[in-house]
Amino acid sequence: MLELFRQFALELKASGINLTILYDAFDFERFVSGLATTCALVVLCTFFSILIGAAGATVLGLSRGPAAMLVCAYVALIRNTPLLVQMYFFYFAVGSLMPVGQNAIGLPVPMIGNFTWAVIALSLYAGAFNVETFRSGIGAVHGSYEEAALALGYSRFKAFRYVVAPLGLRFSFASLANNLVDLTKATTVAYAIGVAELLYVSNQIWSDSLNTFEMMNVMLAIYLLLTGIVVWIIGRAQRAMRLPGFGVN
Amino acid sequence: MKALKTFAFGLALGLGAAVARAETLDCGDDTLCKIEATKVLKVGTKDDYKPWSYRAADGSFAGMEVDLANALGQLLGAKVEIVKVNSANRFEFLAQGQIDIMIASATDTAERRQVVGFVHPNYYSSGYNILLPKKVKATKWDEMTGQTICAIQGAWYNKPAQEKFKLELLAFAGTAEVESALQQGRCIGVLSDDNLINVQLADPKWADYYMPLPTQDDAPWGIAVRKADLDKPWGVLVAGAIANWHRSGKLLELEKANGIAESAYLRKMHEALKDHLATQ
Amino acid sequence: MSETSIFADVLRWLPFVLWGFGLNVLMSVLAIVLGTGAGVFLGLGQTSHIRLVGGVSRLATQLFRNAPWLVLLFYCIFLMPYSIVISGATYNVPSWLRATLGFSLPVAANFSEIVRGAIGSIPKGQWEAAEALGYSRSVTLFRIILPQCITRMLPPWMNLYALLITATPLASIVGVEEALARTQAAVQSEAQASFLIPMYATLLVMFFLYTYPISRISNALERRFRTV
Repeated sequence: MLELFRQFALELKASGINLTILYDAFDFERFVSGLATTCALVVLCTFFSILIGAAGATVLGLSRGPAAMLVCAYVALIRNTPLLVQMYFFYFAVGSLMPVGQNAIGLPVPMIGNFTWAVIALSLYAGAFNVETFRSGIGAVHGSYEEAALALGYSRFKAFRYVVAPLGLRFSFASLANNLVDLTKATTVAYAIGVAELLYVSNQIWSDSLNTFEMMNVMLAIYLLLTGIVVWIIGRAQRAMRLPGFGVN
Repeated sequence: MKALKTFAFGLALGLGAAVARAETLDCGDDTLCKIEATKVLKVGTKDDYKPWSYRAADGSFAGMEVDLANALGQLLGAKVEIVKVNSANRFEFLAQGQIDIMIASATDTAERRQVVGFVHPNYYSSGYNILLPKKVKATKWDEMTGQTICAIQGAWYNKPAQEKFKLELLAFAGTAEVESALQQGRCIGVLSDDNLINVQLADPKWADYYMPLPTQDDAPWGIAVRKADLDKPWGVLVAGAIANWHRSGKLLELEKANGIAESAYLRKMHEALKDHLATQ
Repeated sequence: MSETSIFADVLRWLPFVLWGFGLNVLMSVLAIVLGTGAGVFLGLGQTSHIRLVGGVSRLATQLFRNAPWLVLLFYCIFLMPYSIVISGATYNVPSWLRATLGFSLPVAANFSEIVRGAIGSIPKGQWEAAEALGYSRSVTLFRIILPQCITRMLPPWMNLYALLITATPLASIVGVEEALARTQAAVQSEAQASFLIPMYATLLVMFFLYTYPISRISNALERRFRTV
């Protein structure tokens, strides 16, 4: 089967379409590992960004004090500055202040590698957008629900946890899907700090084989597929959590 | 609606002004003719390859390759416009016509010759090596297997170094990121040109580093023009200019003026091409 | 290296970086104008009853909305010709302008969705009422529906602009000399680690000072136009 692909790719090359990833073992290997890295980035950052979003929205939903101000400042800072600069800032500037370990030959090695920094930067970035999403989802829940819960003897926290937040989540799906699609696309920015994700390996491949056009199309197709998968999963989750008779599309 | 139309017209006007001046030339594909008509020579060079090409404190370009660009401009009586390129985009920029000539420390390889035209003779030469901290005691490349080494995206030696010696490369777009990454211990060394490493080692900043491994695959650098120009007046003119620079010793001079140790390649080329009648 | 000399170094490079930031602003303004223009057509196209127009508009919207900005940028930088010939005259298209076109594609797609959403948010009854009064579909759209949409589209449009300006440093990766590229060149030129944090922090502040007011105005407008 693989041999068939190879033959096909070599024929394509003869006709001017040079897909080295299909016939050059080295390129194939690094391309697959790049794809795996991109997927790992998407999954990890989705998880952490939702966590950050939920935590931030909870703080905003329950308190008006310094904690809420801190969350607001975080959201404002992240949303109004470029992700790429944040990435550089975390990796090169903040990274230089972090503790270092030592390797076998006594050289300093940072405890936090570039992949981890990418996960941190991307999670914080998408997390800020998720805070806004969840906050406005919760804001869309009519006040009477909370009043009813309080009247039934729920504490303020429990009313939030068991009544307002679950309803707010259902209002948030469309915007959340949007944020996660943006996050999937934003993983390409990790390229700048040397994380060997899809764009990074593609760039290496086209620098070596000078097949820029082919690699670009392959990448476009893969990202459309990835974002399609993200949208599909959110759609499934949304359907699974639908409440009968509750008026959200 | 009227406001909208005025706006659209203004926008079209603005865009027209933003696009560089219109030229009606009958030069066809002849780049030399275009340069002579416009009196502008667009040279692609890097801005992070000190001392070959870099930025001076006032933001202007400087370095040995920039000196070469200016020498060409003087020869043609044209104004030199430096366009910043990097390792990952320089060939595309040349092929697209964004620059007329590329003097960007590009090694002359078979794959690249399929895309651009390298003008001969070559103007410089280097191999690849690893800049290592003195703490790392290594004498053979095999000892580097599996080690994380920083590199520049788009350098020709990234692939052979990974394939032959199984290095773990951590590649960045420019040398600024590479140096920061090295200083922060994100890689144990830097995969780079042996020439560049020699220049760095002359700087006290790199006193704790050295280059203990034998240089690999010494290969010449080429000034490149578009493929279509290679055997046309533009390519031939540049070839003649480079040959003259070798013959007159200008390349050796510029190398020295930019603080680079004399390279065996330039000495050899000068000896081969020098005027046999000139007295020593 | 003392504190004051670091500060002086940053100050010395500031004009150089600020000029680069000017390019970020220029690219973002041109891209939002181009993208909004194209987005209006795509958005109206999405609501069209003509199947071909609707299909093509939806396809283009989804394509440019779901492709990474950086990939679209690489497309525009590498695959667009550098000089174009229009009726015998040759026009050069510099990298920053091609990058601008690259930015305007996702902007158009996102604005297309904003337009579609705004039109969809107007109650269906208005269309029916207009039809009953004998208005044609296009008159209904331009005279009745769209005027109501503008206030609804303004806040998301401004958010889109904030997103766009913060995306413009991506152009540095494809070789445009904007603020980030110039910051990197400055850091490289100074070649000292202590210079790194202040330079990048300055850049972050620069973007924040420009973008934050826009976000605030957008939020204020959103609250004001909110239909209860």
